[in-house]
Amino acid sequence: MKFRYAMVCSSNQNRSMEAHSLFKRQGFEVSSYGTGAHVKLPGPSLREPNVYEFGTPYKYMFEDLRRKDPELYKRNGILPMLKRNSSVKLAPQRWQENAADGSFDVVFTFEEKVFDMVIEDLHNRDHVLMKSVLVINLEVKDNHEEAAIGARLTLDLCQEIEAAESWEESIDDIVIAFEKQHRRKLLYSISFY
Amino acid sequence: MAGASRDQVLSLLAAANNHGDLAVKLSSLRQAKDILLSMEPSLAADLFSYLVELQSSPESLVRVLLIEVIGEIDLKATGHSPILMSVLLTLLRDGDAIVARQSIVTGTKIFCSVLEELTMQFNLRGKVERWLEEIWTWMAKFKDAVYAVALEPGSVGVKLLALKFLETFVLLFTSDTDTEKPLAEAGIKRSFNISWMVGGHHPVLDPVVLMSEANRTLGILLNLLRSASSLPGSLIITVVNCVAAIARKRPKHYDTVLSALLDFNPNSETVKACHAASIHYSLRTAYLGFLRCTYPSIVESRERLIRTLRAMNAGDAADQVIRQVEKMIRNSERSSRELRVGKEDQPSSQLPVSGEMIRKRLVPLDDEQLANGHEANSKRIRSGPDAHLPFPVEINDSEQDPFSVNGVSPNVTVLDSQLAAVEQMIAMIGALLAEGERGAESLEILISKIHPDLLADIVMTNMRHLPMAPPPLTRLGNLPVTRQVGSLSSQVQVVTSSAPVSFVQSSSVTAQVPISSATATNSSMSDTVIAADSKRDPRRDPRRLDPRRVTVTIAEPSVPVVEDIGSMKSEFDDSISLSKPVSYPVMTSNENPLAHLTSKIKGDDKISESPPLCGHDQLMPKDEILEEPEQFDLIPEADENASLDPMLSSIDAVGDDLKTVELSDFVEINREDASCPVESDQYSPAVSVASASEDTSPELPPLPLYVELSEEQENDVKHMAIKHIIESYKHFHGTDFQQTCIVLLARLVAQIDDDNFIMILQKHVLDDQRQKGQELVLHVLYHLHSLMILDSIDKSSSASVLYEKFLLAVAKTLLDSFPASDKAFSRLLGEAPVLPESAMKLLNDLCYSDVVDCHGKFVRDVERVTQGLGAIWSLILGRPQNRQACLDIALKCGVHSQDEIRAKAIRLVANKLYQLSYISEDIEQFATKMLLSALDQEISGANLSLSGSTDQRVEEQIQSQETSISGSQISESTTSDNDSNAKQLLQSSSSLSFPEAQRLISLYFALCTKKPSLLQLVFNSYGKSPRTVKQAFHRHIPILVRALGQSSSELLRIISDPPQGSENLLTLILQTLTQETTPSDELIATIKHLYETKLKDVTILVPLLASLSKSEVLPIFPRLVALPLDKFQMALAHVLQGSAHSGPALTPVEVLVAIHGIVPEKDGLPLKKIMDVCSACFEQRTVFTQQVLAKALNQMADQTPLPLLFMRTVIQAIDAFPKLVDFVMKILSKLVARQVWRMPKLWVGFLKCVSQTQPHSFHVLLQLPPPQLESALNKHAKLRAPLAAYANQPSIKSSLPRSTLAVIGLANEAHMQPPHMSSSFALSDTSSSVHGATLT
Repeated sequence: MKFRYAMVCSSNQNRSMEAHSLFKRQGFEVSSYGTGAHVKLPGPSLREPNVYEFGTPYKYMFEDLRRKDPELYKRNGILPMLKRNSSVKLAPQRWQENAADGSFDVVFTFEEKVFDMVIEDLHNRDHVLMKSVLVINLEVKDNHEEAAIGARLTLDLCQEIEAAESWEESIDDIVIAFEKQHRRKLLYSISFY
Repeated sequence: MAGASRDQVLSLLAAANNHGDLAVKLSSLRQAKDILLSMEPSLAADLFSYLVELQSSPESLVRVLLIEVIGEIDLKATGHSPILMSVLLTLLRDGDAIVARQSIVTGTKIFCSVLEELTMQFNLRGKVERWLEEIWTWMAKFKDAVYAVALEPGSVGVKLLALKFLETFVLLFTSDTDTEKPLAEAGIKRSFNISWMVGGHHPVLDPVVLMSEANRTLGILLNLLRSASSLPGSLIITVVNCVAAIARKRPKHYDTVLSALLDFNPNSETVKACHAASIHYSLRTAYLGFLRCTYPSIVESRERLIRTLRAMNAGDAADQVIRQVEKMIRNSERSSRELRVGKEDQPSSQLPVSGEMIRKRLVPLDDEQLANGHEANSKRIRSGPDAHLPFPVEINDSEQDPFSVNGVSPNVTVLDSQLAAVEQMIAMIGALLAEGERGAESLEILISKIHPDLLADIVMTNMRHLPMAPPPLTRLGNLPVTRQVGSLSSQVQVVTSSAPVSFVQSSSVTAQVPISSATATNSSMSDTVIAADSKRDPRRDPRRLDPRRVTVTIAEPSVPVVEDIGSMKSEFDDSISLSKPVSYPVMTSNENPLAHLTSKIKGDDKISESPPLCGHDQLMPKDEILEEPEQFDLIPEADENASLDPMLSSIDAVGDDLKTVELSDFVEINREDASCPVESDQYSPAVSVASASEDTSPELPPLPLYVELSEEQENDVKHMAIKHIIESYKHFHGTDFQQTCIVLLARLVAQIDDDNFIMILQKHVLDDQRQKGQELVLHVLYHLHSLMILDSIDKSSSASVLYEKFLLAVAKTLLDSFPASDKAFSRLLGEAPVLPESAMKLLNDLCYSDVVDCHGKFVRDVERVTQGLGAIWSLILGRPQNRQACLDIALKCGVHSQDEIRAKAIRLVANKLYQLSYISEDIEQFATKMLLSALDQEISGANLSLSGSTDQRVEEQIQSQETSISGSQISESTTSDNDSNAKQLLQSSSSLSFPEAQRLISLYFALCTKKPSLLQLVFNSYGKSPRTVKQAFHRHIPILVRALGQSSSELLRIISDPPQGSENLLTLILQTLTQETTPSDELIATIKHLYETKLKDVTILVPLLASLSKSEVLPIFPRLVALPLDKFQMALAHVLQGSAHSGPALTPVEVLVAIHGIVPEKDGLPLKKIMDVCSACFEQRTVFTQQVLAKALNQMADQTPLPLLFMRTVIQAIDAFPKLVDFVMKILSKLVARQVWRMPKLWVGFLKCVSQTQPHSFHVLLQLPPPQLESALNKHAKLRAPLAAYANQPSIKSSLPRSTLAVIGLANEAHMQPPHMSSSFALSDTSSSVHGATLT
């Protein structure tokens, strides 16, 4: 059974896009979102992040940052990341505004706060479809290396879930086994569309 | 027409049933559905019986689609059909989970629509059609079936949906009329619930029964929770989510649900097989969801929820949610109010500007986590200009009063409906107020009875009439009442009995109004704004005291200031965890003339800031009051004073917060003064009685209750106050109250420049470090810093002194009292508003300077250095202003004389700091400078003590020494052993010791690891660098090179073009590179190229020899031989060792042959050298064994021409291995056959060999042609006699030709040899006999 996946982090740049990119390459049906109010990228210092609205094309950000300080953003991996992202989709999307994108079967979040927001958002939606959705949180640090690892782990987990006859029955086992194998903490919840 | 479509449907259904292809089945069914939907309901109904046949289709997808079709048909109201319902019920129990799920989904939809239809029909027409009744009975069956699914064992996926149905059921049949609709539900389509059923006795639906059924259903859900141990985790989580949703949407059930959830304890026992963390988390989510709700019943349990969440380690999340909710309420409230206020607000021209400004500030600081907060902020932006609205107080009310029921229902119409009542109430209150004291009691009672909603409305309605500028007294009277309402309603949730108090306040305010307005009317609006602004700001958020901001604030005219506040507030709301942002400035800007009101508001603010407290009146003698008594005592007159006294009235009114009152008075004074609005800020919020008295200028007006205190008293008061605050602080763990304490303490520090106080505070900070200590310290620092910035020159100096003192004291305390691993120190430096020189010095001392302990010994805790460096690192990252200073310290440590410290610092600099683009340049420069200084110092030092030539000579000596040692051994220790003379010489000449050189260059080498191109300089300077520096280089290079690896392109580049004089370095690098790994092709190519083009020194090839092939080695072999013997030996080892996969480049045999193949003239080698090399080989008996020698000799014997040293080697071989004698004889015979006598050099050797190997060589000798034999015997006369004796043996003699015999002299005897021979024969005969005797 083919699932629709959503990858969610806060800015829809690094972690969710890494996973999106990987899943897309693997032929999964996948979308990605951010739950933040804005898209934030590291700036010259901690206090000066680059802030964009959701919907700003990755390409635009790429050009913008390249204009600002090509060296810095190349070195910290932002430019390559944006380039990668622009090859995956046009622009970052916001989870809270994704109602039009239809329902997902499995939603992955990469941060507890994001998990909270996704669940809260799903709870506040109108559950007309009565379609259950599995939301899983895998804590992933927001840097390039961890994102890559996180995406791989996510893929592993998805394959486990897809392999199960019914995730509703076996999600506990899958999650517990995954935690044991990878020594990563997971959280899951179930909501409805 | 109808018949045709009927046939069509039938054929399509048949196809759907029987066709072989699933896709065709599905599409047929869809088409059939379309036609059915377009048909007359009655006609279509005839066909249903055919349709339902599909329920036994073997394809589950067909069954799923069938259910969907049924749903569509049903919902399109072409007719609810009992037949179709029966299908639904059947398929509910379908074995395939997908089918079962779809039937629940469709059934639920039908259920809702039927229910709605039922209600509508009855409500509109008063009766219900029969068919609908029938369907409803089916629905009841469906419901029961779903219940069964939910409870009986089966597919979990289906159960999830069944649970969802239960939730829907409960929601449908629980009335939501008893509460106002929550925001979340507005606009939801399926918002039907039982409350829609109005009037009359419904024939089918009995609300009472249904509601009890809903309760029962909820009971089922909760029961599931109780039996959680037998359920899978997904079910438990869904149950929790469902009941939480019910509780949120139907507060009626909230209490039941909450207590069930609280009872539910998913410990590891009960949920063995489940993922316990997720279950816990679902509870957490549920509680947080409750916190987001604003129903009174939920709000009441807020404390309990927060406690529970704290216990789950989710306190932060809870706080956050509360803040969000408050903001949402405020905004919705505001927007609803704006609606009513209409258009009479500010000039719209300001709107875009201010919005823009706020946005700008907002954006970078916003906090991702608060998406809701964000929306709130953007709304706030919109309402920024509200600052100038005539109704600011309302806004403030709402902001500090999250519980206000008004906030829950932004529904304007509801409010409007109450307006009439409101007007009446206002009139009544007005009348009571007019009665003064007499009316007070009644008013008190009245207000206590008024519902908070209504009270709020009264206030707001009244506000509508409030004019912009100095309001008339009657209105003023109302204003404070408003405030009371605000505070009242905020307290209603907590302590309902506080209502009377607010009355007291309001009455007193009324009394005081004339005076206050009289005193304050002078002040200009903008002044007030600024004063209020800067006054409020620090109180709320220490960070805002950041100099940049505040200066901006002051510089700009009043309007931007107000906006600024807005933005700051919102930043602050987002980013820090202070609990209740209140936009006071906004309010004050309008109320400026009413200083006392301001004070009152502040008092209220205090109260509402700390929810648990009820210090408003004596009825609730809670801890808040503890804060006060001392101060209260100081002004006993005030107590006795009548309520007409403004100050007293504020005291009465505020009751629990004397300081604020004082402050407000003071602020007022300043306003009067009007010349120094900023000044007032300094003493702002937390000014104590004493300080107020110090600072108020004597001519200031009427504030009669001014208490003079002696200095001593002041100090006592101060200390008491502090102790008190700290004491009470310790007992409080509610965040809000602690917050207040922190702020108070911060202000007090600013006021009291007293070491004692700082000590107390330090102690407190330490005690409380883990929780709020750091926050307190920061508050203090920020406050002091703001004073420094804002103040006039002289003041600022004192503030800065205090700042410095405090910062240092705290920093030192942190260092002293916490282990080095503690992060508090670093955090303090990182977060303090500014770091004075002395702080940097402290850091420097920590990292760099020696610490002398009490015994006068140098002690250094390396852990501390780590700590200091850690702090430096974070400062470099986080504080651009201090970056340079910090970097300097780090770099200084990078050349520290103590190895351990240096290593740590170098690690920091090279691994972390060097990565930072903005300082990498500096680091590089510094390291280069140090490296060069090592060189310079050395050279100059050496030149001073020794003449250049000597120096150079000695150095060369050393170099040769060093280079002659095999790579791994190159180190100064070996050198010193070998060449102690030179070393001593040099040491005396050198000003730079080896450790010193190490010290200076280590950093540079560390950087090289990161940036190999830096190596170039090392190479360039190597040639001219002095010995100790070279030693240091030698020590570092292997580590560096190993780190870089041989594939480093930069390294290869440098290697490919080494500067003059760096050959040794190059060799060392090559040795290192090849030591453990096989050199890469690239490296080999580079080196070979280098050897061929530039550097003819074969030494550089030595390390690579192992990887070279035979054909590559052979051409350079003569060069290798030409190397000094030890180097040759090394090269030989490499050659023989070879690489793992290609085997040795040359076998020992080949080596020997190669050595012998060298022609001295051609290869420009002295023969002696070759001979030495040969001997060296012979010495290695384990390699050059007997067999090797034999083989080599054998090969060489066949060569033409014979190698020059052949005979020498033969002789050596026989010396070394006497057993080879027979083999040698064969060789010799071979040589005879090759007419060895024609090769004069060999001939000598041949003869020598023959003579040495007699008597074994006799038969060889006899093989010589007579002339040669003759000459041989002539040369080695001693041979003659033994040879003759040998030849004389009959067996031999017979085989010898006559000529030979003649030479030996035997022919004479037998064949009359020439006479001259006979004499010699006699001689030889005797000797041979002697010889023979010895032989036998």
